[in-house]
Amino acid sequence: MRRWIGPLAAALGCAAAAHAAALHFAPALIMDRAIAALAERGVALHAFTAPQRVTPQAQSVVRSSPDLFYALCRYDLSEKGMTLAVRIAAWPDYQSLSFFDARTDNFATVRGTGKAVTLRLLAPGSAPSRGAIVSPTAKGVILIRRLAPSADRYAAAATASVGDACQLEP
Amino acid sequence: MRRVFAYLAAALVGCGFGLGSALAMAGLLPGASTMAFGDVDVGGWRSDFAIGSRAADPYTRARVARHGLLALAKSEAVYFTRATDDAGAPLREACSYRLSGGAMPAGWWSVTLYDAASMLPANTDGALSFDASRAGEGAWEALIAPTRPQGAEHWISSRNAGTFDLTLRLYMPDSALLTDPNGALKAPRIEQLSCEPAA
Repeated sequence: MRRWIGPLAAALGCAAAAHAAALHFAPALIMDRAIAALAERGVALHAFTAPQRVTPQAQSVVRSSPDLFYALCRYDLSEKGMTLAVRIAAWPDYQSLSFFDARTDNFATVRGTGKAVTLRLLAPGSAPSRGAIVSPTAKGVILIRRLAPSADRYAAAATASVGDACQLEP
Repeated sequence: MRRVFAYLAAALVGCGFGLGSALAMAGLLPGASTMAFGDVDVGGWRSDFAIGSRAADPYTRARVARHGLLALAKSEAVYFTRATDDAGAPLREACSYRLSGGAMPAGWWSVTLYDAASMLPANTDGALSFDASRAGEGAWEALIAPTRPQGAEHWISSRNAGTFDLTLRLYMPDSALLTDPNGALKAPRIEQLSCEPAA
């Protein structure tokens, strides 16, 4: 019986370590794969990309809403001294700008109903400043949602998106 | 040599068990349903208010990463899902339903139908959802059926949906909804009207 105590302890130790490691690394791994998938689907780095209007024939993400206009921007603030200048153009109905870090956290959301919004996204560890948001991780995704429940409203939202910006700057 | 093999085998079994149990407990195994989780239930509509947040425990964090990717935090939007009618039967394409409700505690809301794979059903009916802009003030109703019911003002198509569920999105939620969802939200009803006889 005593000869099994060592292997049993090793099994328990490995189980606990694997359990904790899986939970710890899962969010970052999931987001890393999601960002790679977005890149494969043509979502640009440091520019907003608007996929087609969500329909049964054009849907790539589970549970997308057919009533919303979406635009995505991937960002990477790894390069020292760089920041991201972000702007959403005015839209008369609901619109928001939401920021997701490399661990999937929605670390900031800015609502912009009826107005344009301009702000800067700063690299991790930057000093907070007015009109700026500090990203918890160097990489992430920014998502614009605009209420556009009809084909006409979607076309108008797409036109408005010409004024959106997601640009890497010193 | 046998002793080394015993330790190696024990480590492998332990790691496999630890990994598998973590994935199962966090809802990360393939096929895990969003309906299996959630901390809020209002009249059969289930929601997970941890979505989008920096949840404290690692299980919730991992689960949210998998099932709530790019979803907004509850201060901006909350999402409820329901897969059964008022009698508790699964929602099916072979049946028609009356979806009804009243004013919602949010700036804008919508109800969207998704198939078992969480995708919009493969049809070209252009009737995938119903939202606040069409509901107007006060009480509203919409019919859910595979073909447009005669005289229906509002219709959500379930054609090619098979067994489906509905997602209720509430954007710009009232603070009362976040603190007391059962008190603030009058859950939309889903009444079965008829079913096609089984072939």
